[in-house]
Amino acid sequence: MHFRFLAAAFWIVLAGFFAWDWTHSAPVNVRTEPPLIAAGSGVAPSGGHCASTF
Amino acid sequence: MKRFPLAILIAAFCVFLAWSVALRQALLFLVGIGLGAVLAGARFGFTTGWRRLIEQRDPSGVLAQLVLLAVAAAVSMPLLAAYPTDLGAALGPPSISLLVGAFVFGACMQVADGCGSGTLYKAGLGIPLNMAILPVFAIGSFLGSATLDRWLALGAMPPYGLVTHFGAPVALLLTLAGLALVGFGVVRWSGRSAPLWNRKLLWGAVLLAALAVLNLVIAGQPWGIVYGFGLWAAKIAAAAHLFDPSANPFWSEPVNAATLAQSVFLDVTSITNIGILAGALWIAAGKPAAAAKPMNGTQWAVGLVAGLLLGYSSRLAFGCNIGAMVSGISTGSLHGWIWVPMAFLGSLIGVRVRRHYAF
Repeated sequence: MHFRFLAAAFWIVLAGFFAWDWTHSAPVNVRTEPPLIAAGSGVAPSGGHCASTF
Repeated sequence: MKRFPLAILIAAFCVFLAWSVALRQALLFLVGIGLGAVLAGARFGFTTGWRRLIEQRDPSGVLAQLVLLAVAAAVSMPLLAAYPTDLGAALGPPSISLLVGAFVFGACMQVADGCGSGTLYKAGLGIPLNMAILPVFAIGSFLGSATLDRWLALGAMPPYGLVTHFGAPVALLLTLAGLALVGFGVVRWSGRSAPLWNRKLLWGAVLLAALAVLNLVIAGQPWGIVYGFGLWAAKIAAAAHLFDPSANPFWSEPVNAATLAQSVFLDVTSITNIGILAGALWIAAGKPAAAAKPMNGTQWAVGLVAGLLLGYSSRLAFGCNIGAMVSGISTGSLHGWIWVPMAFLGSLIGVRVRRHYAF
C-alpha cells in the first residue's frame, strides 16, 4: 500500500516541479524555435550534453 | 492508471509541447516515449546485462548492448561526417575525472540496480527504490556539475573524436573492430555456459539504436540523460538561493546559464527523460502491478547513497551508460572507450557490495 503512495507522491512531485518551472522560467518565444530536424538545417547544436565540459 | 486515459494525457502533453514550446521538442518527447517503452518492454537493462555476465557468465545482455553500439555507430558516424556543423558527437575529455567517475558509477549502478536509463525506466515502471533514487540522482548530478572544474584541474586531455581525426569509414571500422574484440572476449569469458543471444534483447538493441540515431538527427546532439537531471536540481537550488550559478564555472557558461533560465521543456535531455518516464509508465499501465521486494532500512540507506553517487560520478565521467557509453562510442568519442573498462571494474566491486547487503 505504501508503495502506491510512493508512486503517487513521485508523479505529483514531478508534475509539480514541471508546473513550477514552467511558470517561473523565461517565457518561450515560439518565433525563435529550433529547427524541426537538426540534420541539414545549417544550425549548430546549442544544448547542454552530459559529455560536454561547458 | 489504464493505458487509454494515460495515452490521452501523453497526447495532450505532446500537443502542448508542439503548440507552446517547439515542434522539435514534441518530436523528441515521442522519441523519448519510444526509448522508455523499448527499455521497459524489453527490460533492456545495461546494469543487469553486466551483472549477469559477471555472476552467471551469461553474455546475452552484453552482446545485445554491443549490437546496439554497432548499429548506432554504423548510422551515426556517416551522419556526423555528412553534417559536421549541424550534428555534434558526445565528446568528453579523457581525464582523471573520467577514470574516477566511471569506476564509481560502475560500482554504484550495481548497488542501485539501475544506471542512467535504468533508473529512469524503472522509476517509470513504479519500482520503489528507483523512484526514490531519481531525486538524489539529480542532486548528485548537480553537485558533480558544480564541482567539475576542480576535477578537471587534476588533469585532462582535449576530447578526441574518431570521426574528426580519421573520417567516418575508418572511425566506423575501428569502432566495429573494437566492439568485435570485446564481443570475442565476452564469449570466451562466458564459456558458452548460457545462450549467446536473446531475441527480445536483440530487438530492443536494434530499436534503441534507431531511436538514438533519431535523437541525433532531430536534436543535433546524441542521446543523453544526466545533464537533464543536474539541470532540474540546479534550478531548485538556484531558486532556493542555495547556489549562485553566476559564480560557478560550469553553470555560468553561456550554454548552461541560458538552459538554466529557460523552461526545462526546451532542454533536449530533459524532454527525452520525461518521454522515457512516460513510455515506461505506459508499459507498466498495461500490466498487473508487480509485488515489490520488501527492503530493510539499511538497504534503503545504501541504495540512496549509491543513487547520490551515481549522479555525482556520472558528471565526473562525462555521461552515464547512455551519454558516455552508447552516445560516446557510437559517435566516435575516445572517452566512451575509457568509460567502459573503468565502469566494468567498478561493477566487479558493485556486485559484491550488492550481495553483501542482500539486495
